[in-house]
Amino acid sequence: MGSRVNMRPTSKNTLLKVVILGDGGVGKSCLMNRFVSNQFDEHSFHTIGVEFLNKDIEIDGETYTLQIWDTAGQERFKTLRTPFYRGSDICMLTYAIDDKHSFRNLQMWKNEFLYYADVKENVQFPFIVIGNKSDVEANEREVSQVEMETWCNENAISACIETSAKNASNVQEAFATAVQHWLRLENRADKNECLYTDTVDLTKKQSENRTSCCINASDE
Amino acid sequence: MSLNNENEYKGRLIAAVKKEVKQVMEESVTRKFVHEESGSVTSLCAAVEACLSQGLRRRALGLFKTSSTTALLHKIAKHSREAAIISKKVQEIENSDPNRRSSSSSESLTKPTLKKNHSLPSTPLPKYLWIRLALFEKQLAKIIDYLVSNANKYYDKDALVADPDYGSILSSLLVGPCALDYSRTKTPDHFWTDPPADELVQRHRISSSHSTPPPVRRPILNFRRSLNASSEDSITNRTTTQHLAKDYVESLHQNSRATLLFGKNNVLVLPVNADVSQPMPGYLSLHQTASGLTIKWTPNQLMNGFTDEVQDKSVFWDYALQVRLDEIVYVHCHQDSETGGTVILVGQDGVQRPPIHFPKGGHMLAFLSCIETGLLPRGRLDPPLWSQRCSNKRRRPLPALSETEETTKDYVFRIADNTTHKDILKQNELMDTHIALPPKSRVQLPSTSTSSESSTKSFSIDQNAPDSPPSICIQAVCDSMKRQIISRAFYGWLAYCRHLSTVRTHLSGLVNSKIVNGEGASDGITVEKWNELCTDGVVTDHAELYRLTYFGGIAHDLRKDLWPYLLGHYKFGSTTQQRMELSEETKQAYENTMSEWLAVEAIVRQRDKETQANAIAKLSSESMSGEQVPAQIQRDLSNEVFEDNISDEDSGPNVEEEDKPERTRQNTIKYDSDPEQDEKEERYQQQQLKDFIHNVIVTNASVDMGNLGSEIEANGHRNDLDVVAEENSSLDTCIETHGLASPAMSTCVSPASSNGGVYSQELLETFGLNLHRIEKDVQRCDRNYWYFTVENLDKLRNVMCTYVWEHLDIGYMQGMCDLVAPLLVIFNDESLTYACFCHLMERMVENFPNGNAMDCHFANMRSLIQILDSEMYELMHSHGDYTHFYFCYRWFLLDFKRELVYPDVYATWEVIWAAQHVASSHFVLFLALALLETYRDIILSNCMDFTDIIKFFNEMAERHNAAAVLSLARDLVLQLQLLIENK
Ligand SMILES: Nc1nc2c(ncn2[C@@H]2O[C@H](COP(=O)(O)OP(=O)(O)OP(=O)(O)O)[C@@H](O)[C@H]2O)c(=O)[nH]1
Ligand SMILES: [Mg+2]
Repeated sequence: MGSRVNMRPTSKNTLLKVVILGDGGVGKSCLMNRFVSNQFDEHSFHTIGVEFLNKDIEIDGETYTLQIWDTAGQERFKTLRTPFYRGSDICMLTYAIDDKHSFRNLQMWKNEFLYYADVKENVQFPFIVIGNKSDVEANEREVSQVEMETWCNENAISACIETSAKNASNVQEAFATAVQHWLRLENRADKNECLYTDTVDLTKKQSENRTSCCINASDE
Repeated sequence: MSLNNENEYKGRLIAAVKKEVKQVMEESVTRKFVHEESGSVTSLCAAVEACLSQGLRRRALGLFKTSSTTALLHKIAKHSREAAIISKKVQEIENSDPNRRSSSSSESLTKPTLKKNHSLPSTPLPKYLWIRLALFEKQLAKIIDYLVSNANKYYDKDALVADPDYGSILSSLLVGPCALDYSRTKTPDHFWTDPPADELVQRHRISSSHSTPPPVRRPILNFRRSLNASSEDSITNRTTTQHLAKDYVESLHQNSRATLLFGKNNVLVLPVNADVSQPMPGYLSLHQTASGLTIKWTPNQLMNGFTDEVQDKSVFWDYALQVRLDEIVYVHCHQDSETGGTVILVGQDGVQRPPIHFPKGGHMLAFLSCIETGLLPRGRLDPPLWSQRCSNKRRRPLPALSETEETTKDYVFRIADNTTHKDILKQNELMDTHIALPPKSRVQLPSTSTSSESSTKSFSIDQNAPDSPPSICIQAVCDSMKRQIISRAFYGWLAYCRHLSTVRTHLSGLVNSKIVNGEGASDGITVEKWNELCTDGVVTDHAELYRLTYFGGIAHDLRKDLWPYLLGHYKFGSTTQQRMELSEETKQAYENTMSEWLAVEAIVRQRDKETQANAIAKLSSESMSGEQVPAQIQRDLSNEVFEDNISDEDSGPNVEEEDKPERTRQNTIKYDSDPEQDEKEERYQQQQLKDFIHNVIVTNASVDMGNLGSEIEANGHRNDLDVVAEENSSLDTCIETHGLASPAMSTCVSPASSNGGVYSQELLETFGLNLHRIEKDVQRCDRNYWYFTVENLDKLRNVMCTYVWEHLDIGYMQGMCDLVAPLLVIFNDESLTYACFCHLMERMVENFPNGNAMDCHFANMRSLIQILDSEMYELMHSHGDYTHFYFCYRWFLLDFKRELVYPDVYATWEVIWAAQHVASSHFVLFLALALLETYRDIILSNCMDFTDIIKFFNEMAERHNAAAVLSLARDLVLQLQLLIENK
């Protein structure tokens, strides 16, 4: 008889805060604009300060509103962007597949995010790794899918995808995957939810299957 | 059902309500309002319905309908006013739509029979209708209150509503949600997308056209106190014990009215009226509402949920502590190494509140720090907890509180009020004379040291304070009290004066004291004026030039000649001849510098090719499964940049990838020293032409470093890459040989070594990194502006690189390109642009992350708004983080360059440059303020929070009326000048 009482709220309008991180010029702003307004401006400005856009996305019949925060990629602007990490639900770690350096910096971005977003140590945070500019000529590519997946494995990140803001490939999918990933972790967290303690102990071990986009993924 | 089961079930029902309440409250925090159709509202209604249905005496009440709680509502409508309102609404809705009951569709509900009618969800669960309505109308808690008080009439004895604990908890839980505003204005697909800036501005125009004066003319120098206007909302006022349960709910959440500033569990307090002898653990929280700060402490017994035991908790409600900080005058802190410290609050009445014992771990300091922050701007801790050094960004707590070397250390803070006497601002000259009189007012009044266990070090300045014998007569006590009252008033007033004086001193630094008259200057510098000012090519009256520029700007065609004066490149009084010489020098120096970094660039470029080749080769080798890679890709060069310096044979993980054989071939071709001709051509076309020129430079560099500059100049087409590529056949051959030769060359002599090791590895790497960043950003700089063709972008790049080469310690930072661009458009001359940019950067560099000007700007903005527009300040402050002014960041970093269209950028920049000589060297602050004030009504009426305002101004970029903003900014400067002059 308690079944109705315990029902989950229908969260068709859950607001999720998404931050897109990555080196300058990897295409963060382009990704956001492609996703939000389906436009690509080759000559868009580099980002100064912070900008954000809202966009609804439907996953499994439920609508989520993504509040997407786009920041400047240069390391020096750290003090400006880090205050916005707090309260994020999803973090997109972005590099460009034709820029090895941006890929190497993923670690830095991840660490910076974890530090400033105040994510609890043992909590699985929904990261998604994005390799942008998948449209570039094969001979421009500097980072392979395998490298990306290896890095994700090493960092216990279970979602990764290659996208192109330019030709729109996988952009919707990237955001959808991110939300699904968030949902899975959220559901798991929910089971452990305890209303009045301020420390929520989440399952530390990750066990679910990885996202489909990682074809060659091995199990964790 | 056994008693235990019954209880457990009730516990679950309540827990469900709690959960949904929490959800709704959280939603309200993140979203500023909750949509009526929000899933969490529905869930909450369902949970409430479940509670209300349980144990309902249907039979006795004659309630047999499906939605019996609705019938119950109608029933109690006779006795409860709140219920009557809702009951009436429910009936109206049902009557207005005859299909209502049979159809699950509620389309017809949109008929506006009642103001709120059409607010109903499109797919509601009809049985929650009344609960929803009651919630939206903010009556639900009261109705349930009524039910709880009269439970015996309607409910079974063991019903949840009839339960002494659960009943009141239920109604108190709903107080929070009933205080929220629910919205229905948005269509489902726009649920949380806020209206675009355009729409807001449009709406404002329409609504304000007939009612309020245009915002520009609005007097913003108002000193009204908006604090009292609407602060006394129902939530904060409920302080009686009867409502402790409700406060408990609030303590758990940060809701729309109250912000949770601090929360810590297991803080020990010995409640005053408790029959316990040991301090008991509880949850300490600090809340901020519109009317001030409140400290709450809730015993753990109340925090641990409701499901565990049946014990009567009402006694704990009495223990709970709630202190409004505006009733507190002194905060005593006792520190000792044993515990985490104790805080005792002493009220205006001199009565001390129960000591609060903190657990170890710096929580007391955190708590005090939160209080200090929370007190701003209306109050503060005196002395300040954090001694702040303006220039130094680091904040240090008072040594006494940071880490204690001594075993015991006590401190007394006074809570000082900054606003009490705001309305008497005008008398502040009078006050100034008094300010010097008393010493620092670390005041401690005698009576407060009565706190029994305190070993407080007294900072008393009241020398008469009697450490007198216990035998004090009544008269003495009265005297003492009188003195207290008087001195308190005096010190309060004093603190206020000090504050005002500080603000005044502080702000007076922002404007020039001399007020320059703008008469006859509104046309700025026209051609005629310029001819007057510049006699025989010599400009002497710089004051007039600045004045005219500040008040009216410069005619566009004159900017090329005048800007160098404004930026300090040309000296006033210089002759035409002198300036020509200067230009020649500048040009020479620029070219020399360029030749330096161009050589380095060539090397960097070469290294890049190697590393890229490596990376690609590695990928190919992975895909080729060890197939032979051209020998040209030997890593005998300086490719230690990357650590994955594996040799080709040393094939990495041989994972198969859908890689085309063509790619392999391409790679081969790319680095083959003898490529097929057509492949080569194709490649060249794809390549950025820059690569060519770099190869040329490699040639030059190896041939004759010294002559590079002149050679480039002689070429005359250095920047015109297209021309170079298409017309200059001799260069083309160079390119061909060297473009192809470079890999071969790399096998024998590296460019680095060919330069005799002039350049350190470190330098190459630093410059290389900068180069890449510059390139990425130049590509994205103002591409939609006609001027920035490929050719001119390369000029931009050159200026940028030259600057960075000369200032490697500063390096390239994003935003610099934006500052070069307008200069380049005006001058269309690289060396002049470079020289002026260097001057510009002298001021601007401090805004970039390494400098600390940005922090100062933000702090100044804060003070200015606080003084000039307290209403706005209130709004900002009520939204917490808002006062960080991040939304101004881009404004200050780029001198508003991205906020305005190009012609307006010119007009604004020259005014900023002239302003320091005419009115204020912080003119950007007033521009920022003017922008804010221009939209202040929109900001206020939409109650914009931090994210709203970021979004708003991002969307408003390049849409501002620059002329109006500039003139308002000048007005603001003048107003502040007048205020400080105080005449
Ligand atoms: N080929 C290709 N180019 C892209 C793609 N996405 C972005 N770009 C280009 O990459 C450049 C940088 O894109 P931005 O979106 O501005 O990069 P960002 O990550 O926002 O950079 P910052 O704002 O400096 O941090 C732009 O010139 C785009 O044209 C893509 O999917 N494919
Ligand atoms: Mg960007």
